[in-house]
Amino acid sequence: MAPAVPRSGDAIFANVERVNAELFTLTYGAIVRQLLTDLEEVEEVNKQLDQMGYNIGIRLIDEFLAKSNVTRCVDFRETAEVIAKVGFKMFLGVTASVSNWDTEGTCCSLILEDNPLVDFVELPDTCQGLYYCNILSGVVRGALEMVSMKTEVTWVRDMLRGDDAFELQVKLLKQVPEEYPYKDDE
Amino acid sequence: MIVCIAVVGHQNNPLYIQSFTEADDALKLHHIVHCSLDVVDERVNNPKKSGPMLNETFLGLLYPTENYKVYGYLTNTKVKFILVTTDLDVRDADVRNFFRRFHSAYLDAVSNPFHVPGKKITSKTFAERVTNIVKSVSFHTTG
Repeated sequence: MAPAVPRSGDAIFANVERVNAELFTLTYGAIVRQLLTDLEEVEEVNKQLDQMGYNIGIRLIDEFLAKSNVTRCVDFRETAEVIAKVGFKMFLGVTASVSNWDTEGTCCSLILEDNPLVDFVELPDTCQGLYYCNILSGVVRGALEMVSMKTEVTWVRDMLRGDDAFELQVKLLKQVPEEYPYKDDE
Repeated sequence: MIVCIAVVGHQNNPLYIQSFTEADDALKLHHIVHCSLDVVDERVNNPKKSGPMLNETFLGLLYPTENYKVYGYLTNTKVKFILVTTDLDVRDADVRNFFRRFHSAYLDAVSNPFHVPGKKITSKTFAERVTNIVKSVSFHTTG
């Protein structure tokens, strides 16, 4: 029998290697600061963070699948649950909750009450347009793209802008059918 | 009651100064803080007791005036915290405790990636936290 799909990432989280949270937070802070200095435009920084996240996501998904023992998800709802409960726990140490489903089941929100990336952070007035955690949306987008789901990930709520939680809206654009470009005789 | 609290950088540049009085005596309090910096320098350059207390950050009572008492705290990165209080009969342990909490608030504020070291602390969260600490601390003595 196939192993049951883990409903929480606690067990995996206990086994993966971890780094000090402050080192992680400060490193990410330094990256964002440097991007702001280099690119000057807040919009550009958002884009760059998203791109960096995407590049992380397309690699991270393999590690996720290898270590988490999740089986194929039957629908997008299950995918979202797995990301929120297992994925976030495994790599970020926090769990998200999934809500705000639309009727077709293609659009939902991942809500993070706690986010280790933003410890200590306070946005200055000059960076009000900055999505500080934009790297996360890129990661989710990149990871899902590698398992043949084209998604659009946007921030709806951001604690750094005075909201009460972080809300990441994930919208399934289309499911790309798996292609087999290989020919049997080669 | 704590009337004024200040953070002063290692070149004696003010990083944060906040007074907690209703009256318009900010200038007077700033003056007191300013004067206390000399006392800090004096303490640092002529340590009274050497030996086990090399890493001691708490400087103790800097000087008393008629109405105020001024306490100092020097971090290992040469950032000074100055506390001005109207309570004239204060236990050292309470002040130490206050400074310890203040220090951790300061640490969180400088860990903000948008804070530039050596520049003024503009964080609203820090200001709020300091106000809370000041409110929660009372140097009441039993006598």
